[in-house]
Order: sequence, then structure tokens, then C-alpha cells
Amino acid sequence: MSEEQETPQENKPIDLSKGQQSEPAPFQPLGNGPVTPPPFQQPPPFGQFGGGGFGQQNLPNATAALVLGIIAIPACCFYGIFGLVFGVIAWILGAGDMKKYQLNPGLYTESSYKNAKAGKICGMIATILSALFIVIFILIIAGAITNPQMFDNFIKGMK
Amino acid sequence: MARPHKTFLEWLGEHLFSCPFKTHFGIDCPGCGLQRSVLALFKGDLSASFKFYPATIPLIFLVLFTLIHLKLDFKFGAQLIKIVFAGVAVIILINYIYKIYTHQLI
Repeated sequence: MSEEQETPQENKPIDLSKGQQSEPAPFQPLGNGPVTPPPFQQPPPFGQFGGGGFGQQNLPNATAALVLGIIAIPACCFYGIFGLVFGVIAWILGAGDMKKYQLNPGLYTESSYKNAKAGKICGMIATILSALFIVIFILIIAGAITNPQMFDNFIKGMK
Repeated sequence: MARPHKTFLEWLGEHLFSCPFKTHFGIDCPGCGLQRSVLALFKGDLSASFKFYPATIPLIFLVLFTLIHLKLDFKFGAQLIKIVFAGVAVIILINYIYKIYTHQLI
């Protein structure tokens, strides 16, 4: 009886081992799978607006040039010299990005090139405007310093 | 409740930045009137806003449109920004020359 009892115990582990052997079998198709790694070669364009960009980037300073160029106008109105500073910075950033685009037109998006161009032109206009006002200020200040009496009469005349 | 709308605008009207050029020389600078104009616009008074400073409304439109353009990337956006910007510059210049000729600088 004891032999009979032992034999089933021996058989059971064999069955388990068979079951374990049967489990690796489903892995084999997965092992055969590695023939399909090409998905790694898919480069999806991340965050592109138009969807037509093939790995194209935005120009680095286009947005900054545009925003600075527009801020330059109120700045030129408030304190004169800030408009000149912002306008010149926008002009330089815009012109630099335009050069970058012209060296590698395929690398950057066209919309950012247009933004850089607009930023450059806005910067130019703001620079010219604030330079004009600074010249007027300097003339008024020079006049007030050299001829204080004339300046007082001028102000009284305007009142 | 901490900032009722009307009292906040009134408070803002009493605490505008004073133009350094005007405080020193008594003559308006090309930007004088912009804050009063924006304040009038907040109160909903378009004609008063235009009288204080004619370039305010196009300027605010320009800033808002630029923000929207940078988000949504319109095709005509950059071109329109350039045109409006040039228009604003011309309006400011004409406004200042008009002020000089009509003796409104003080």
C-alpha cells in the first residue's frame, strides 16, 4: 500500500512539471515575435500645429521677438528709452532668426519665420518711433536748459 | 466683496503712474493719456477713451490678437500684426503732432 501511495506522489510532481513545461509553450510565439520591432522606427511629429511638419522646429526667438516688438510701443510711450531698448532687442532677435531660417529653410517651420519677420519689422518701427520721440525730448530739454525764460514764456503761451 | 468693481476703478483712477517727463517739464509725452484712456475703456466709455488716447483700442486689439495668434497660429496672423502695428505707430505720431498744433500739451 505504501508503494502505491508513493507512486501517485511521484506522479503528481511529474504532472506539475509537465504543466510547467506546457506553460512556456505560449511564450514561444512571443519569442518568435521579435521579427516585428520596426515600430521603433516611427518618428511621430510631437506638438506640431499644422501636422505637415516633418520634425520641423519653431525658430527659438520668433515669439520673443514678436512680443518684445509689440511691448516696445507702450514702453516707448511711458518712459521713452525703454521703447528703444525693447525695439532694438526685438529687431536683433528677429533678424538673427531670419538668418537662421535662410541658412536651413527645411529645419524650421514657416509660421515661426513669419513671426520672426513680423517681430523684426515691429521692432524697427518701434525703434524709429521712440528714437524720434527721444530726439524731441532732447530738443525740449536742451531748450529748457539753455533758455529757461524762453521756456517759461513758451509754456505760459501754450496755457 | 473685498474689491467692489466701481470702487476698484475709482481707486485705480487715483493711483495712476505719473509721467516723469510731465512732472519735470510740464509737457505731455507721446504716451500721456494712455492710462486714463484704458480706465475709460474699463468703464465702457469708448468715446472718452478715444479722446484721451486714440491708439488705445487698436493697441489692446493688437495685444489680444497677438496672444491668440501665438496660441492658434493663423496663416494671416503675422501680416495682420505688422499692418495693425504700423497703424498704431502712425496714430500715435499723428496724435502727438495734433496735440502740439492744438496746444493740448499742458
